[in-house]
Amino acid sequence: MNALEVRNLTKIYKLYEKPSHRLLEIFFKRKKHRLFYANKNISFNLKKGETLGIIGVNGAGKSTLLKQIAGVIEPTSGEIKRYGRVTALLELGTGFNPEFTGVENIYFNGMLIGMNKDEISKKLNSIIDFSELGDFINEPLKTYSSGMVMRLAFSIAIHSEPQILIVDEALSVGDAHFSAKCTKELKKLKEKNLSVIYVSHDLNSLKLLCDRLILLNEGEIIEEGNPEKVINVYNYLIAALNKNQSLTVSENSFGNLKAKILSCEVKGVESDSNVLSSGEEGVVGLKIKADEDIENITVGILIRDRFGQDIFGTNTYYLNKKISLRKNKTYLIEFKMPFNIGAGKYSLTAAIHSDESHLNECVHWIDKAASFEIAGIKGIKFIGLCRLDPEVEIKEKYV
Amino acid sequence: MKEHFKIAFELAFRDLRERYVNTSFGQLWLLISPLVTILIYTVIFSDFMKMRMNLVESKYAYSIYLIPGLLSWNFFAVAVSRISNTFFEKAHLIKKVNIPTFVYYIATFISEFVIYIISMVFGVLFLVVIGQHIGAEFLWLPMLMLLVGMFAFFLGVIFSLFNPFFRDLKEIIPIILQLWFWMTPIIYVKELIYHKYPFLVDFNPFYYFIEPMQTLFLYSKVLYKDVAVSFAIVAVLAVLAVWLYKKMIAEIKDVI
Repeated sequence: MNALEVRNLTKIYKLYEKPSHRLLEIFFKRKKHRLFYANKNISFNLKKGETLGIIGVNGAGKSTLLKQIAGVIEPTSGEIKRYGRVTALLELGTGFNPEFTGVENIYFNGMLIGMNKDEISKKLNSIIDFSELGDFINEPLKTYSSGMVMRLAFSIAIHSEPQILIVDEALSVGDAHFSAKCTKELKKLKEKNLSVIYVSHDLNSLKLLCDRLILLNEGEIIEEGNPEKVINVYNYLIAALNKNQSLTVSENSFGNLKAKILSCEVKGVESDSNVLSSGEEGVVGLKIKADEDIENITVGILIRDRFGQDIFGTNTYYLNKKISLRKNKTYLIEFKMPFNIGAGKYSLTAAIHSDESHLNECVHWIDKAASFEIAGIKGIKFIGLCRLDPEVEIKEKYV
Repeated sequence: MKEHFKIAFELAFRDLRERYVNTSFGQLWLLISPLVTILIYTVIFSDFMKMRMNLVESKYAYSIYLIPGLLSWNFFAVAVSRISNTFFEKAHLIKKVNIPTFVYYIATFISEFVIYIISMVFGVLFLVVIGQHIGAEFLWLPMLMLLVGMFAFFLGVIFSLFNPFFRDLKEIIPIILQLWFWMTPIIYVKELIYHKYPFLVDFNPFYYFIEPMQTLFLYSKVLYKDVAVSFAIVAVLAVLAVWLYKKMIAEIKDVI
């Protein structure tokens, strides 16, 4: 069952030298504009209970797409079919007035996002509880911290019980506690078949929340599918944008290839294989070869879990090791460390780039250059992703 | 549609509240300012300046003449300039919430019209206080006010549609309104200019709305012909406004 169907959606903005030229064109059929395609031929479905993420660099057409789905602007061509109430959080707390109290703003904002008065009255306590504002709810909004305003806004939105919720860069609000609470609430609503369209630049939360991602570039969908895959393409795109370098993009690697990563291996010192115990000393070895002399280059590794979450990353820049490569020489770079991470399957991403990150100049980047598994625990048992090696002290307390 | 009107009323209610939020008198100010306006007209013109009208035998004749015209004009000027500014005043909502734009027009209209009604109630109370005859013809007053309201509404809508393309309108409209005010027999009487500049009266659309009201206040008479003309003006403007709105609204949302 689809909650939303978008078919061949195109939004063209006409650009004019002067606003008055637009007026002349409305009434006299003289053409005075250039065309700008904000969205080109976009089609996708959103299933009931599905969370769809939209990513793309600034100006890719994300907001234009959301505004059309929300019905705030009209598409130039194509159609949008909505099956149910669409609540769009294009901006948290639309119409909030700082002079009014929290309760008054709940009524007004609630109405703007499609609830009626009785509905709001019924849910008022629940909204206030969820926002955790306590007595502040009867104070004017201007006395709130920005985090508190966001909490109130999100609380209202979540209680409007939409069938489709559009969230634009909003979940990163508030502290970690409230953020987690929102995520939990969204998951709960998802079980009740709420569909969410989520736009964010926060790749981690996209991976955590979304079932599927759409990557927009220059108004078009250029990639669609599971979050990991799409985010990798997005990363290439960002790297390409940052430097007008000709990237050689293959399946999972890209870069200008002045130097290449020839091989990559993860091995436990004891197990002598890519299945390690947690806590075991391990080595990540990278073989690289330079096609030209390169001064001051950084080699980095990044460990990701099976959800694609970044677990740990480091590079020679952080570790204060200077590397200079000579033409046609092959080098072996080894990172030795105890693998103090929890059980599970991991992938290793390796990269050669300049400076701190791959954003300036990316020489070679390989996603999933190697994989390994942590099975079993060496030493003291623990639960979770990382081993923190705590010490326990028990002191008898004298009163 | 019913939902839209509900939202419009809620927006209007909020608009009225916003003006006086955090003032100690609050909504009482809605009553105080028209009251003061009326007091000024009567005290200054009737007592201090001893202005008399040659037409009616009453100490307060000039005030009686002045009140409906000025109150209506005050409403008209504020409503036209506010409605014509809708796309700027409400941009933050129009761009973020899926509510048809005409709802915002209606909301501003309701808010201003409420103030107009309150001030006119005081105007009529003033007549009662000074003992002016109030006949059954006064039942026409709400109708006349509504006509002024519709005139302001549709004119404001038309201006508002051109405003985003031609920002100079924002500066031009107040000037037009000021000129229009002094060219309409509101402060002075029609007879003062009619022999010299008859077109100022005959071709001044606003005068067709205001003369029946002035006549009603002074003589408890209804000028059916003028009312008919003003009705026709409203009808023409309404058709024009709706046509322009439909033609331009999608384009406007792309601009703001």
